[in-house]
Amino acid sequence: MVSGGLTAALGAVGVALGLTVVFGGPRQLRIGWLLPLVGVRFDLDPVGGLFMAATGAVSIAVGIYTVGYAQREHLSRFPLIVLPLFVTAMLGVPAAGSVTTFLLAWELMAAASLVLVLSEHRREEVRSAGVFYAVMTQLGFAAILLALVVLSAAGGADSFDTIAANSGGISPGTRNAVFLLTLMGFGSKAGLLPLHAWLPRAHPEAPSPVSALMSAAMVNMGIYGIIRIDLQILGHAGASPHWWGLTLMIFGAVSAVFGVLQASVATDLKRLLAYSTTENMGLVTLALGAATLLSSYGAQDVAALAMTAALLIILSHAAFKTLAFLAAGSVLAATGLRDLDKLGGLARRMPGTTVMFGIAALGASGLPLGAGFVGEWLLLQSLIHSPHEGTTLLMLMMPLSVGAVALTTGLGIATMVKAFGVGFLARPRSAAAQAAREAPASMMAGMSLAAAACMVFAVAPVLLGPLLGRVLAALPTVGGGEAGPVLGTYLRLPGVAGSMSPGLIAGALVVAVLLAVGLTRWGARHRPAATVAPLWACGADSLSSRMQYTATSFAEPLQRVFDNVLQPETDVEVTHFAESQYLVEKVTYRTLQADPVEQRLYTPVIRAVTTWAQYVRRAHPGSVHLYLAYGALGLLIVLVIAR
Amino acid sequence: MSWIGKIRRVGRIVEPAPPLPAFAPMTTSATSATSATSATEPGSIDAVVPPTGVTGSLQLRHVDCGSCNGCELEITSAFSSVYDAEQFGARIVASPRHADGLITTGVVTHNMHQPLLNTLNAVPEPRLVIAVGDCAINGGAFKQGYGVVGSVADVIPVDVGVPGCPPTPHQIIAALRTVTGR
Repeated sequence: MVSGGLTAALGAVGVALGLTVVFGGPRQLRIGWLLPLVGVRFDLDPVGGLFMAATGAVSIAVGIYTVGYAQREHLSRFPLIVLPLFVTAMLGVPAAGSVTTFLLAWELMAAASLVLVLSEHRREEVRSAGVFYAVMTQLGFAAILLALVVLSAAGGADSFDTIAANSGGISPGTRNAVFLLTLMGFGSKAGLLPLHAWLPRAHPEAPSPVSALMSAAMVNMGIYGIIRIDLQILGHAGASPHWWGLTLMIFGAVSAVFGVLQASVATDLKRLLAYSTTENMGLVTLALGAATLLSSYGAQDVAALAMTAALLIILSHAAFKTLAFLAAGSVLAATGLRDLDKLGGLARRMPGTTVMFGIAALGASGLPLGAGFVGEWLLLQSLIHSPHEGTTLLMLMMPLSVGAVALTTGLGIATMVKAFGVGFLARPRSAAAQAAREAPASMMAGMSLAAAACMVFAVAPVLLGPLLGRVLAALPTVGGGEAGPVLGTYLRLPGVAGSMSPGLIAGALVVAVLLAVGLTRWGARHRPAATVAPLWACGADSLSSRMQYTATSFAEPLQRVFDNVLQPETDVEVTHFAESQYLVEKVTYRTLQADPVEQRLYTPVIRAVTTWAQYVRRAHPGSVHLYLAYGALGLLIVLVIAR
Repeated sequence: MSWIGKIRRVGRIVEPAPPLPAFAPMTTSATSATSATSATEPGSIDAVVPPTGVTGSLQLRHVDCGSCNGCELEITSAFSSVYDAEQFGARIVASPRHADGLITTGVVTHNMHQPLLNTLNAVPEPRLVIAVGDCAINGGAFKQGYGVVGSVADVIPVDVGVPGCPPTPHQIIAALRTVTGR
């Protein structure tokens, strides 16, 4: 109760502060005593304010939800204490104005989230996910640390402002090194391929409010890092090299397609949502890359369009992914199940949660009336309307990216149809799903907030127009003083011939549905009353839940088409009767969908590290004398070098 | 756009349909037929009213109640491109919910007894049952079998019977045409 309330209150502070900064102007705060030598320095500018507001909004919904969730799930005290701390750290990251403050907040965020992931540490899968997450997030942190230290040394200052002002003097080699290192570090936090492996492990195993915070707010910080360091500070001096944008686009496109492919064959509801996060962050990175590339060719107005798309996808993803994870959490709390093949029939038992997940799934599928639609539409517009006089690179990249986005969206629809249709409709596939109870009021209230945000993104992005306009104006090279796209009742795109009105589309759809229903009723007014008949079960007596489509069978065609990419392990075992080889007693079908990138890339690395560790182990025989000798030797070397 | 004009000028080219059959299909098997509508004089066209009241259209769901598959082969032939029962308005459909009636073959076995009743109940009324082959009409060669409940006519009311073991596609089509009226 206290923890949830505190989290929501912190979120409200974050939203208020973020919006004040975006509309009011930059704020600064220095706390000299908190860190020795440099002190803590908070500089809030509109870009940071936007991310702060988004994080805060997610925290409000999650905080309210946690009040009921903690009671129902009997969460232990420890994760409840760490939850507000995690939110504070996440609010601190976009506010940080210097390298040290940024690293402090970043590491605090990583450590707090690790504690939260491990809150059910008695289960073996949770511990394995925790180890994976700890190693990858610390490796990412090491890359960021190295990059920021190099940047700070080259820029001659600790504060971001000064580094940005001095960034013209940084040599191209240093700039490229910083770009690659930050892409690695921030990319691993954002769940980009091939550093995504922690995400589908840690997000499902964490308690659901934590999953929502991590998936909707924490991964955004990876994107924020790329925007802040690579686009804002390094891009301050002038246009970035072409290959930066190209690299971002390729990583983004590959992550988006791979993420959605894995999501489309996943049967674990939360794993599916985690892969969908990789997909969406891939789309955001693709949009950022497109903005950088277009900007480096001087096409500022289209670049501003791509940048708006990136920001909108981040915000809408935060809204619908919060809602999706919270709804998945209330399913988990009610049934104890995450496996879609055992769920089903929840629409009748948990109508509120079903509506919530429906709104989230519509948003994630990128269809009109869904939260993700406007962002993806803008992204496609920016990719299609790249300038005619562009080079071969633009001519090659833009159509390929359109293809990747289209494939991602299409597979995303299939994924969400599967998650909603198999998970919530039809008949329950297990006794636990049969006995599901609706979530308590506070959980519903948390979800309703996120659902309201989803509706705003879907129907009235006009409300976000001023916010995004100010943030764009603060991004020097990409937004670059030019007028960004106008998010009014009609979305108008300056420089390209495109306009759309999500509100009118929604209105037209509602009118069309009402008209169709009305006309059908009117046409059927003279027909005899409907009679009730038993369901047609192909002549058998009744239908059982085992006759239904499952998540596995729904995804089977996709799994077959993308066999080379997904490399599933399937195993069909036919048992015959002892009397005759021609009579089949039973058929067992097993399928295991592992992550091929993980198997190909991580397994050799882990094996090599283990081998090397065996060698290093010989230096630790347990003799105190030897250890003392090591210490003396080390001291000697330091003294000789630092002489 | 000249192809639209051409389509209109040429019109449909099909083989002219043979005249409506001049015999009643139930003449040899009136023993066990229960429905009154099919009992007619020899030499006249059977006066079965199409179940929907619309001539020229009959959607049928096929139920194999325990047939030796001889009748299935002949029904397949009747709906093949050689005999083309569809040109007379009869079609086999996949679900009884889409059907105007059943086309049944074989004796009713114990295993297929309840499924046959379920399928019949799933067909919306008014509906029609066509029994194809001697087994469906009076038990035929399997009449005394240990797993046999009886003929289709013993279990559900049959409107049209097509005698023969198995009946030829011509006979099946002739019976269907008495219902479709084409």
